[in-house]
Amino acid sequence: MNGLVYDIHRFSLHDGPGIRTTIFLKGCPLDCLWCHNPEAKSFEPQLSFNSNLCTLCGNCEKSCPNNVHQIIDGKHIINFDLCRTSEECVENCPAGALSIIGYSESVEEIMETVNKDRKYFENSGGGLTISGGEPMAQFDFTFEILKRAKESGIHTAIETCGQSTEQRFMKVLPYVDLFLFDYKETDPENHKNYTGVSNKQILKNLELILENGASVILRCPLIPGFNDNEKHFRGIAGLQKKFPSIKLIEIMAYHNTGRDKAEKIGLVNPLKDLSSVSESEKKMWINSLTRLGCTNVTFG
Amino acid sequence: MKYNFFTELKFTSAYKEYINAHPAIREAMCLKAQYPDYFDGITEGDLLAGRIQHGLIGFSPDEWGPTAFGYYCLTTEIEKHLKENDYSTEQRTEIEEILEFWSTENTSFKLRSRYTEEMKKYLPSDDWMNQSGIAFPLYRLTGGTPDFSTLLKLGIPGLRDKITKLLESADAESKDPDFYRGLLIALDVFVNVIDFYIDNVKQLLGKETGQSRISDLEKLLNVLEAVKISKPRTFHEALQLFWLYTFLGDVRNYGRMDMYMGDFLASDIDNGIITEEEALRLVQSLWKLMVDRHTVVHNRVIIGGRGRRNEKNADRFAMLALEASRTVLAIEPQLSLRIYKGMNPEVYEKALDVIGEGRTFPILYNDDVNIGSVVKAFEFNKLDAEQYVPYGCGEYIIEHESFGTPSGVINLLKALEVTLHNGIDPMTGKEAGLALGDFNSFKSFGDLWNAYNKQVEHFVRLMAEQEVLEYKVAGETAPFLFMSMLYGECLDSGKGMFSGGIKYLGGTLETYGNTNTSDSLLAIKKLVYESNSVPKGELLQALDSDFEGYELLRKKLLDVPKYGNDNNEADNMVSKVHEHVCTYVREQKDRVGLHSYLVVNINNSANTLMGHSTSASADGRKSCMSMNNGNNPTSGYDKNGVTAMLNSLVKPRTDIHAGAVQNLKFSKNMFREKRDILKSLLQTYFDNGGAQAMITVVDKDDLRSAMKEPEKYQHIFVRVGGFSARFVELARDIQEDILTRTLY
Repeated sequence: MNGLVYDIHRFSLHDGPGIRTTIFLKGCPLDCLWCHNPEAKSFEPQLSFNSNLCTLCGNCEKSCPNNVHQIIDGKHIINFDLCRTSEECVENCPAGALSIIGYSESVEEIMETVNKDRKYFENSGGGLTISGGEPMAQFDFTFEILKRAKESGIHTAIETCGQSTEQRFMKVLPYVDLFLFDYKETDPENHKNYTGVSNKQILKNLELILENGASVILRCPLIPGFNDNEKHFRGIAGLQKKFPSIKLIEIMAYHNTGRDKAEKIGLVNPLKDLSSVSESEKKMWINSLTRLGCTNVTFG
Repeated sequence: MKYNFFTELKFTSAYKEYINAHPAIREAMCLKAQYPDYFDGITEGDLLAGRIQHGLIGFSPDEWGPTAFGYYCLTTEIEKHLKENDYSTEQRTEIEEILEFWSTENTSFKLRSRYTEEMKKYLPSDDWMNQSGIAFPLYRLTGGTPDFSTLLKLGIPGLRDKITKLLESADAESKDPDFYRGLLIALDVFVNVIDFYIDNVKQLLGKETGQSRISDLEKLLNVLEAVKISKPRTFHEALQLFWLYTFLGDVRNYGRMDMYMGDFLASDIDNGIITEEEALRLVQSLWKLMVDRHTVVHNRVIIGGRGRRNEKNADRFAMLALEASRTVLAIEPQLSLRIYKGMNPEVYEKALDVIGEGRTFPILYNDDVNIGSVVKAFEFNKLDAEQYVPYGCGEYIIEHESFGTPSGVINLLKALEVTLHNGIDPMTGKEAGLALGDFNSFKSFGDLWNAYNKQVEHFVRLMAEQEVLEYKVAGETAPFLFMSMLYGECLDSGKGMFSGGIKYLGGTLETYGNTNTSDSLLAIKKLVYESNSVPKGELLQALDSDFEGYELLRKKLLDVPKYGNDNNEADNMVSKVHEHVCTYVREQKDRVGLHSYLVVNINNSANTLMGHSTSASADGRKSCMSMNNGNNPTSGYDKNGVTAMLNSLVKPRTDIHAGAVQNLKFSKNMFREKRDILKSLLQTYFDNGGAQAMITVVDKDDLRSAMKEPEKYQHIFVRVGGFSARFVELARDIQEDILTRTLY
């Protein structure tokens, strides 16, 4: 069985405990305004262009069968819509400015890579994390990897936005040691505006797995001007009160390090001008959350 | 100030006077002429006596400049003085005469004049730093680590007694009495040097007004007066005797210092003779004196490890040494910690603290791998192997039993380059190796592989022969008295180190460009021979033009898997290249008559210097760029994260060579906030067979460098929350931003 992967990070230290290997799957059912991995939204491979590296040699223009590239007046213009990801341009780009994001990989190949660091997992209390994109969206693939890993004694985690069916969450539950579960916005209407979907199903899934004994770290992206408000903070505090089994609240403060990623794949970043959150702002957030009764809050 | 050549002239006269005397007597009289003159006075703050000047003509086992060892003469420096200063005609004539004399009397000359025709043809130059070539000889007898325990146990009077007795029975036992007579003169020189420093301290005391300095100098005076007449009784006396001896023997690597200093330290502290603070001050002072010795690649202090007779006391010294390295901010000494399962965890934690502060020391050596490797590679028994010590850039010997100077360097990548060009060095256009057919004539990868092997083997044979010749000439020239009095079976047999006095006389050959060679071979194998996507002629043209106009071809070469990414294909090629050269070198020992002859894959600046004269290579490396360092992947070629790199590092065999090194880089954050992760990472690396680690803690300067030279810093990932990027791929202003944040 194959899945569409766009990256594998070994020695990943931010996606669960210990030393981990994180598999990034391509494709996500949500469309968050602040998405910092926009290249992981589409379920298809896609062209990416790093203008910093381009030398304007014109090889891409000559080699592309679909007229995606044009060099006009010293500028490299790309029509991303025409691209069929046939890779001629990538092969002919001497500067390495062009690449295709997303490649097919089998469960066996993934497990082979994962197993290479097995001893590191064992000595550090780490393991495997599936991230994305949304791992639940390539469900069969995700399920198979988790099952194999779990059965061979590797600690497993998934990073999920929570958008999937209850059946799928119940099916995957026995094979996941830790859910890094996103909680993006309390107000359902705002949630739809910011991410493209309501949070109704997401919350259902969260409750379901918690009631069934899942180990969960709640991950809350906080975006200034969008969800850094009292109502959402109360929502976070309320959720923790209702489900004391939530192990940890991880605040993911907005940062603009992914600012230029959208442009590379021909998209527009709607928050291009938003700056990263300052340390003082982070402190204020923590104070507010603590005041509202949140315990065990940290920054991820 | 005008250089007066007083001692150089005195030294030359002594040499001439004893030119036909027994080599031991001649050496002893020459030592007497050069010492204490070449010692330098005590400097403000020194708590121990012992600084050296740079004599322009003299005697030493080690090198005092390129090719200057044994009886050496630094002609270029002397000529510079003559040119820049005003000497009388008489003086000038005198100096020119001795230059003329030494031009054929220096040991290097004598060595080179005995080269065979083949050696002369293929090893035409000694200037490996600037000239292009496959292999170069190195003239030095370096890395010897004598028996400091015995030195400190006996002291000067004890050694004198022992040698006197041996002299008395020499004739009866058919041993060489002159060897012992020479040793006794050498001990007189030792005393002369102590007297020199006693006078020096007394003079300083006459001028000194500061109370605390007066107190330090008075202590030093007592120490010097004590070690002159008796064996050392205190830690301070032990350090002093040791330190002066290292100059007399020109010993630049100090072996298991924790073992031979530990008991003195423990006894002094437990008996209230000194406090911990005073002991630390002494070690700090010693460290500073080592720094001022400027050995660059030596000054090794070994702590920790299996096989210490006094583990507890030794660990107390080890803790002190670590603290000295933490507090004396310098690039020397090269403090090296041997780690092992069951070691004192306090020492290990302290070591990580010191590394975490960015000191790059201690260098870690994994006994649980290395002892077994030494048993196999050197064919030692386990007990002997437990006494292995790395010296210099990382070569192993058995303390005061074996010797293995690296007397040559071989550039494997240049060997491949010359092979691809049918014996011609494209850098010079001249013949530089065997002509084994042009690239076109290699019909399969196997053909190319065989030709490359032949080329390497040809030079390995010559280097092995040169190593033996170097020892032979050294042994005929001198017994190297100070080292020999504390080495192997020299004393009992009445023979110098290189005249049959030690059982385990071995040698080493430094290899460079190992990984570049392997990565290049794999690229050629895959693109030229397997996929036929790159014609041979085009590849050669691309290499010869440093990829100008062949950028796309270069990218293809770069895209072939590289060592350092846990990729089996690439790592296997490295193992294959490694195994070939290590095995072939090792096989030379019986042919040339050495106890061992082994590869060392070490780090210094040779990978960069020799890279300057090595053309573009098929791994995508541009002409004149640095080659890889030690067992590390080429900088920037490891792109899969640290676990992948570590998994690659443990693949080449460790039991067929005499030492290999690897550099690891981590962020400060890793040491401060993720110590548990770091510890488990290192633990796993060592469990997996990691032999050694030199750990640099990356700070913001590295990020700044990454912004200037992004191609070398591909491995730096930055992460904030759930998003990762290669640092070098981020926009400038974002890089600036991250610079102010933490790494990882």
